Amino acid sequence: MAIDLEAQYDKIYRYCYYRLRDRERAEDVTQETFLRWFASDTYRDRGQLLHYLYTVARHLCADEARRPPVHALPEELPGREPDPLLSIALRSELDKLSPEDRELVLLRCVNGEPMAVLCKLYGQSRFALRRRLDKILKTLKDALE
Amino acid sequence: MDRRLKQELQAMFRAPAPVKKAAFLKCHRRRELGRWELAAVQAGHIRWWVWALSLGVFGVVLWAAAWPYPAMGLSCAAALTPVLALLAVAENGRARFYQMEELELACRVPRSSALLARMLALGLFHLALLGALIPALAVWGGIGTARAAGAYLLTPYCLTAALGMELTRRFRGREGLLACGGGAALVSGLGTLSVYRMPALYRPEDLPLWGMALAASAFAAGAEITLSLKERELRWN
Repeated sequence: MAIDLEAQYDKIYRYCYYRLRDRERAEDVTQETFLRWFASDTYRDRGQLLHYLYTVARHLCADEARRPPVHALPEELPGREPDPLLSIALRSELDKLSPEDRELVLLRCVNGEPMAVLCKLYGQSRFALRRRLDKILKTLKDALE
Repeated sequence: MDRRLKQELQAMFRAPAPVKKAAFLKCHRRRELGRWELAAVQAGHIRWWVWALSLGVFGVVLWAAAWPYPAMGLSCAAALTPVLALLAVAENGRARFYQMEELELACRVPRSSALLARMLALGLFHLALLGALIPALAVWGGIGTARAAGAYLLTPYCLTAALGMELTRRFRGREGLLACGGGAALVSGLGTLSVYRMPALYRPEDLPLWGMALAASAFAAGAEITLSLKERELRWN
């Protein structure tokens, strides 16, 4: 029943940042997502918290994206610098994907969400989603090689 | 998944560290209930007379077991153990008997977790009572611990619980309660009757049969618990 709020915060924040490309707005939307969950009278603990949070975050990001963008200074990204050549190849393959497929890669490969959550989020069967993901990953792997 | 690909993707999708995270998490905490905390909360919702009656049954069996005539204690144990199980089943199916399941479903805590917590609280209490009765029956009744536990206490308890939960799922409202009572009365009556009329059933040689009966009733009770936990949606008649 108890969840690791800190880990979920990071995942939702990464998702929002990917959708909005703005740290400030991503963080606001992340916090709004959690506040809506805290205040929700309709949410019931049925083991579907991640699905719930991602759905709220997705809607809030869509709303936020409609607002005029505020041009923020580029952020200094922490962590390992990717190999520039590989990065270009991978980036161009990622850019070829549909936004929904890119989001799927983020949720599954970076956030490590379980397939059951993704199936509910995308309204697809486990088999269909697995096939779709395998196809995407094969393309990306080919780009890396 | 390929480790290198995963690393590259993580580098590709990395985000700047959130700045307001620590302050937010410090200020906003959603109250989460742990398993044992939930069991304690649910135990508080169990009616006081259920605890009192359970203790009463325990006292009567203990008193009867202390009598010099051993069959008295044994028959009392066989007759009253189903009452304990009936209390547990009736308490767990309370919402169903009063046709108020929608209230349970509307709670923030899932119905299955609340049910499980209630079963855990009352089940552990009953297990402690039965555990205390086993040595009393074994010593005063002049039978072994295994016979006391298997034949006179745990088998009737598990059998009544399995039967009661099955009947609870089949009948709603007052009929369910009556059906459970009927099931408990049947097990209780058969147990008492067999202690006096068929003492051969309780011979030490038949202990493996009692072991099998106990295993079967425990399995049935476990299956019934699983079924009642899985039954999430209301089924309107």
